[in-house]
Amino acid sequence: MVAAVVALMLALLAAAVAVAGPGRVSADPGVTPTSILLGGTTPLTGPAAAYASVARGANAYLQYVNARGGVFGRKITYKYLDDAYNPANTVQQTRQLVEQDHVFAIFNSLGTEQNLAIRDYLNAMKVPQLFAATGDTSFGADAATYPYAIAFQPSYQAEGFLLGKYLARARPSARIAVLAQNDSYGRDLLLGLKRGLAGGKAKVIAAQNYEVTASDVQSQVAKLKSSGANTFAIFATPQFAIQAYVYADRLGWRPFVVNNAVSSASNIMVLASEGGKNRDVIGTVSVVFLKDPTDPKWKADAAIKLYRQIMARYAKGADVGDVYHVYGMAVAYTLVEALKKAGKNLTRDGLVKAVGHLDIENNPFVLPGIAIKTGPTDHFPLNQVYLQQWTKSGWKQFGGLLTYKGQ
Amino acid sequence: MRKVWRLGVPLAAFTTLAVAIAVMPRYLSGFREQQAAYVGIFTIALLGLNVLTGYTGQISLGHGAFMGVGGYTTAILMTDHGVKDLWTIPLAALVAGGAGFLFGIPALRLSGLYLALATFAIAVATPAVIKKFEHFTGGGSGKNLFGKPELTGSLGPVHLFGHPLSFYNWLYYLVWTIALLGYVVSWLFLRGRVGRALRAVRDSETAAVSSGVSLARYKTLAFGVSAAYAGVAGSLYVIVTNFVNPDTFPINLSIFLLVGVVVGGLGSLLGVIAGGVLIEFLPFWAQDHSKSPGAPSVVYGVVLIALMVLLPSGAAGLVRRGSDVLVGLTGGRYHRRSGDE
Amino acid sequence: MANFFQQVVSGLASGGIYGSLALALVLIHRATGVINFAQGEMATFSTYILWTLTANHGWPYWPAVAFTLAVSFAGGVGVHQLVVRPVERGSVLRVVIVTIGLLLMLNGLTTWIWGGSQHTLHSPFPTRTFDVGGVAISIQDVGTIGVSIGIVVVLWLFFQFTKVGLALRAAATNPTEARLVGVRVPWMLGLGWGLAAVLGAIAGALAAPSLASLDPSLMQAILIYAFAAAVLGGIDSPAGAVVGGLLLGVGLNLLGVYVDFIGADLRLPAALAVILVVLLLRPSGLFGKTAVKRV
Repeated sequence: MVAAVVALMLALLAAAVAVAGPGRVSADPGVTPTSILLGGTTPLTGPAAAYASVARGANAYLQYVNARGGVFGRKITYKYLDDAYNPANTVQQTRQLVEQDHVFAIFNSLGTEQNLAIRDYLNAMKVPQLFAATGDTSFGADAATYPYAIAFQPSYQAEGFLLGKYLARARPSARIAVLAQNDSYGRDLLLGLKRGLAGGKAKVIAAQNYEVTASDVQSQVAKLKSSGANTFAIFATPQFAIQAYVYADRLGWRPFVVNNAVSSASNIMVLASEGGKNRDVIGTVSVVFLKDPTDPKWKADAAIKLYRQIMARYAKGADVGDVYHVYGMAVAYTLVEALKKAGKNLTRDGLVKAVGHLDIENNPFVLPGIAIKTGPTDHFPLNQVYLQQWTKSGWKQFGGLLTYKGQ
Repeated sequence: MRKVWRLGVPLAAFTTLAVAIAVMPRYLSGFREQQAAYVGIFTIALLGLNVLTGYTGQISLGHGAFMGVGGYTTAILMTDHGVKDLWTIPLAALVAGGAGFLFGIPALRLSGLYLALATFAIAVATPAVIKKFEHFTGGGSGKNLFGKPELTGSLGPVHLFGHPLSFYNWLYYLVWTIALLGYVVSWLFLRGRVGRALRAVRDSETAAVSSGVSLARYKTLAFGVSAAYAGVAGSLYVIVTNFVNPDTFPINLSIFLLVGVVVGGLGSLLGVIAGGVLIEFLPFWAQDHSKSPGAPSVVYGVVLIALMVLLPSGAAGLVRRGSDVLVGLTGGRYHRRSGDE
Repeated sequence: MANFFQQVVSGLASGGIYGSLALALVLIHRATGVINFAQGEMATFSTYILWTLTANHGWPYWPAVAFTLAVSFAGGVGVHQLVVRPVERGSVLRVVIVTIGLLLMLNGLTTWIWGGSQHTLHSPFPTRTFDVGGVAISIQDVGTIGVSIGIVVVLWLFFQFTKVGLALRAAATNPTEARLVGVRVPWMLGLGWGLAAVLGAIAGALAAPSLASLDPSLMQAILIYAFAAAVLGGIDSPAGAVVGGLLLGVGLNLLGVYVDFIGADLRLPAALAVILVVLLLRPSGLFGKTAVKRV
């Protein structure tokens, strides 16, 4: 009887072993004369599933590039796995990508905690951690310790700072109430905001946190309203940003609102405006660096036309109005430029060097005037934005190009 | 003859298994070794849960939380107090076991569905509580162990009996040695009076009390022991992953642990390893075979329901039935121990 | 002071939603003795059906609601007959695993069919808000509370004064004797599940507009609060479920505001503490009857 069970066990274990792939050792794994293998993790399910479009958009763009011959004749495969936003999964899956799939680099993995969890490992293994989808400042600030890691979007501190500067200048009597997610994303935005306000009369007078696992932020918004603030800073992810608007409206609170970039996509703002009935949405100010596919201004724009064509061909059924797809394409475009710069003889170190010396003035998916630059003293690819204000007919840019010079 | 049959065969089987486990790394790549280590970790947790649910009949949907207690004990001791990882393992067992024992006391008043609900509540609440005490636990960012000197094998190969072992190699042997030890310990623990008492509690509490079995003592003991095993598993999980944060031990893990012990076969120690294989590999297989998110969950759900409806005693029960047939055909007679399904 | 009343009002509104889902849980427990861990996901699935009818297929709101409730009823009965009935008589553990399997399956199905992104669901109530002495009271909130209380009344009437309701009660409390009197017990139990599914759909239809968003995790936290409400009110008492929900909603809001340590971070653990404390001190809840164990 026991023997039968043991036989079963051995069979199971043998099956597991049989699936074990052969170890492949080469100079730099993941690259052959005709192919490049990239890996990454994205939340396809779970609380952050809305961000899955970031990977989808990037993948669509890379397939478009492949259809045109790839980079130096190499076709790019981008294998992204679902970590359900759980960093422990990210660790295991990244190990799988590096040690079993032998990817050339980790690209476009999403999430602050998620990227921080794998950074030490990738750095030790000398695997590039390219264009991590997070605004965490440490990905630019710690370049000396972690030369293999780099982010892409403007850092959260930069964003908060520029919003703070705007408020200090344009609305000096602002008394600001802040709703911030209880993690480094929310904290960075708040820190940046306070720094941007420094020296002016506008002040943060109340701040409330919420957990990603919360079901609603109603009581936080009520508390913020009762502080008597006349300005509301929403440093929350889309689901909670919508709630913030809705509850403020229901409570009869009419503050001036600043919203963070992650939650300012047009479709989110439309949802928050509850069919035009929510008046708090009008007048919101936010920063922007990508072209919004639902903005009529870009209807005839060559880049957005290309975007739609690529989406129709390589991401059938996906929501074309979702600006995260544009983000994905913007970062994939940058990757391709970096690959070109790294040259025909492609190595990990070569790519890391190229990524550290970027000078891209014409990424078609970012707003005109915004340059993607990195150098020995600047490890932040994007630190320029425009301001925009939400009107009844959507976002309207105003003012000139803003550049963040801090760290 | 029967006595030899009763002791000799399990011993031979165990030895074969142990040898197979010892030899396997030769055929496995580093990454597969890591996966095998995770299988071992879940096996340890399931060994403990088996004591509680299989033998004592108490449902727990909260063992992920006990793994978390053990995991965080290890992480905090290593990063904040410079304790070497190996020494944290027994400490994790103690702390988690203590927590389990303490929970067992009020849980005496609950049974069946209410116990399931209460343990479910604990599993869901624990991540939020961990985040709250962030100066202690590192909050949402958790604790990173990568490259720390307290982590054996992180700074260079480990030398065992003169052989250098790579990091994953070392982890594999560490986990499976503890797993096999844990197996032996629970086998000894359960074969005598204690095992009979636990099974009596499972089969009928009122009858057990009338035969003089102290419900209080054995239920809390079962909780404590199972939590201690979970604590060791959690500690090893953190050591292998080099990372912990509040989401590392979510409610899904507690659910899968219960599933693993039920599918593997309640009351059967060997089915536990099958359960461990299931928990580790099912997510990978599911992801590899479906591009649409959500599909893997549908598969788990359907498989679970089908198993419960069609196969009440789990995989090991199926095997047992099969081998009973075999034994019957060869003319032998196997004395079934009372209480095994 | 206005803040206090504000928190009470919004607490009553969220409590109404907890109570509606708790009602579904209680109904199933009374009928079949099962704690349905999948209740939340069933409700989410129903809510998505309502959403897709109104948003993607252009159905007007009330016909879509009627259709959704009908489909939910059928779904509830179906689930009971296909999945729960085979394991009802078996061990508690098997039943728990089955409802958990159902939870996983429905959650995955929702994401598979409709994706994970945010949507909004049209609300049956106008979004106007009245200001009463500094407290903003939205019609949405009042409507939610009203519906929750209304359901309890309707259910009570159903159970007390209709033949079917009586048969259901008989099948739930005493299946053997009910059979002897000609009650088709399995169908009655299925009816119980169908009704519970309808209640869940109503809870979801109220929750999505109230939380201003719809995504697959809609009912995950609410399920926990519903468990707490059901346990607080008494797992076998429908009125208790709704009262428990209202008490819980208000209590959690006030705790969150006036006890800084709990704040918003520990709201969920606070609800769970309620579950634990009630189960340990008074398992039958506020309105339940203490069960006597027969030897």
